[in-house]
Amino acid sequence: MDHWLLTAATLLALLGSVRGMLAVHRGRRSRSTVIWMAAAMACQIGFLTIRGELRGVCPLKDNGEILVFLAWSLTLFYLLIGPAYRISLLGVFTAPVVVVFQAIALLPGVLETTPQKITGGNPWHEMHSATSVLAYGALALAAVAGVMFLVLDRQLKEHHLQSGLFRGLPPVRELLVSLGRLLWLGSGLLSLGILAGFLMPHDKTAGGHLIAGHLLAALAVWLGYVVLLAVKSVRGLTGRRLSLLTVGWFILSLGVFAFV
Amino acid sequence: MELLCLGLNHRTAPVEVRERFAVGTKKLGATAHELVAMTGGSEALVISTCNRTEFYLVAPDARLACSRLETHLAEKTQLDAGVAAHFYRLERSAAARHLCRVVSGLDSMLLGETEIFGQVKQAYQAALEAGATAAVLNRLFQRAFGVGKKVRTETSIQQGSTSVGNVAVDLAEKIFGHLKDSEVMILGAGEMSRITAQSLVSRGARSIFVANRSFDRAQELAIEMGGCAVRFDEWQKVLERVDVVISSTGCPFPIVHPADVEQARHARKFRPLFFIDIAVPRDIDPAVGDIEEVYLYDIDTLEQLADQARGSRQLQIEECERIIDTELAKFNLLGTRPEGR
Repeated sequence: MDHWLLTAATLLALLGSVRGMLAVHRGRRSRSTVIWMAAAMACQIGFLTIRGELRGVCPLKDNGEILVFLAWSLTLFYLLIGPAYRISLLGVFTAPVVVVFQAIALLPGVLETTPQKITGGNPWHEMHSATSVLAYGALALAAVAGVMFLVLDRQLKEHHLQSGLFRGLPPVRELLVSLGRLLWLGSGLLSLGILAGFLMPHDKTAGGHLIAGHLLAALAVWLGYVVLLAVKSVRGLTGRRLSLLTVGWFILSLGVFAFV
Repeated sequence: MELLCLGLNHRTAPVEVRERFAVGTKKLGATAHELVAMTGGSEALVISTCNRTEFYLVAPDARLACSRLETHLAEKTQLDAGVAAHFYRLERSAAARHLCRVVSGLDSMLLGETEIFGQVKQAYQAALEAGATAAVLNRLFQRAFGVGKKVRTETSIQQGSTSVGNVAVDLAEKIFGHLKDSEVMILGAGEMSRITAQSLVSRGARSIFVANRSFDRAQELAIEMGGCAVRFDEWQKVLERVDVVISSTGCPFPIVHPADVEQARHARKFRPLFFIDIAVPRDIDPAVGDIEEVYLYDIDTLEQLADQARGSRQLQIEECERIIDTELAKFNLLGTRPEGR
């Protein structure tokens, strides 16, 4: 059942993505993307609920679950921010990322077919996992906003203003404001996740060094975002540099999962 | 009952003729009411804008009503008989089709313009309140508004800006969103700068700074715009706070160089900066456009964009006409059916 729900969520996001792209191509607003993404989110919640019950803890125990949780978090922030700021095109850029994350999770061997029940879970551990993945959702959406800025910036610089994509993109200033807010939100959540990570009990006998490794990697990622926000606030950054750094740092930060 | 439209517009009559037939907005309802009695018809409506005056009538005999109306207009305006050549007379479905074209902006001087939709609505409201409309015109105008909306949403007839000023303002909105948080500086108090700045103010720009070689002229324009005059040798300081710069001086060489912008970048915290150069020769060194957060548009680029929009609107005409014909065929409106039906 969980696999079916994940497949349905992936297909719904794919549908939202395709319909959104077609609308953009025709120079219209992609009003239906938010509906497809909301439906995809319902299926994601169904999947995560089933896995959570099977695991007995927050379902973040294999790479597949982490990817789906990340896709859910990305969808959640899109649904919170996109319609509120009337950035309908954010969905068109977000949906393909959700599809990619979930498609990878669906590959054979990525999701455990018979997830084992975890006993003796620790609340700090749960909080560490959940807030960290939520943070990655916000930071992923910041990267999506960064890509949108780079596309718009290029079109404005080169005076290519006739495409449907150009008409659908939100103003430069709104994109940069959204990007900044998402960075603050993501970094705040990541701070909580890392704090909880240090408070959770570490198993010294079974790969204790690996746990420390992933926390150190997360700390490096967090530090990178803190420096980025500090430079942006104190000195200022051009939109292009801020976007490039946000996208680049997010891609690099995915490396943390190699240590999990 | 037959529908009739008698009218003149920017294509059929020069302004000195059009102005004689113009009807003030406040008199639209009363004039429509007066026409009902005078032509022996049952319904009437008057549309009057700077580019057109049109009379819509519903009468048992359209030709008779038309001839009465023409006599009345000739008497009222005291113009010679030659003026009749400026009028077009459309009956039944041709009149309904014409109304749909007008509402959709296809008959406007500026193809696809949106103002006409509101003006026709206003004329209809006035006639309705004056009791000059009934079943035929009520149904016809409601349908025409529906068709107008459909044409505008299903085609790109109103997409893009067709004047240099509007292209510049649209671009400013694409960069800054709502202009209420944006500040504008004008370099050179020429007419084009004034028009463009006024458009920005009308869309909410927060404040305007005017720098001109003649400080008196700068003050004059600043007062007119509700802004602030700046001495010409101090514009670099103002650059640190503004978002949009409109330049149109008569200077034969560039006055804004990359170094001027570089100097202001740190104080601006690298915020986006939009330069509109409408001067010939250009006031802004093209190398300014290479600075990351700067968007530079000169007069040629703006005109090219306006041309592209006009061209793309022209391409939409056929599709718009198709929608109008399809929609009208669905309605089979009273007063628009061919004779004998």
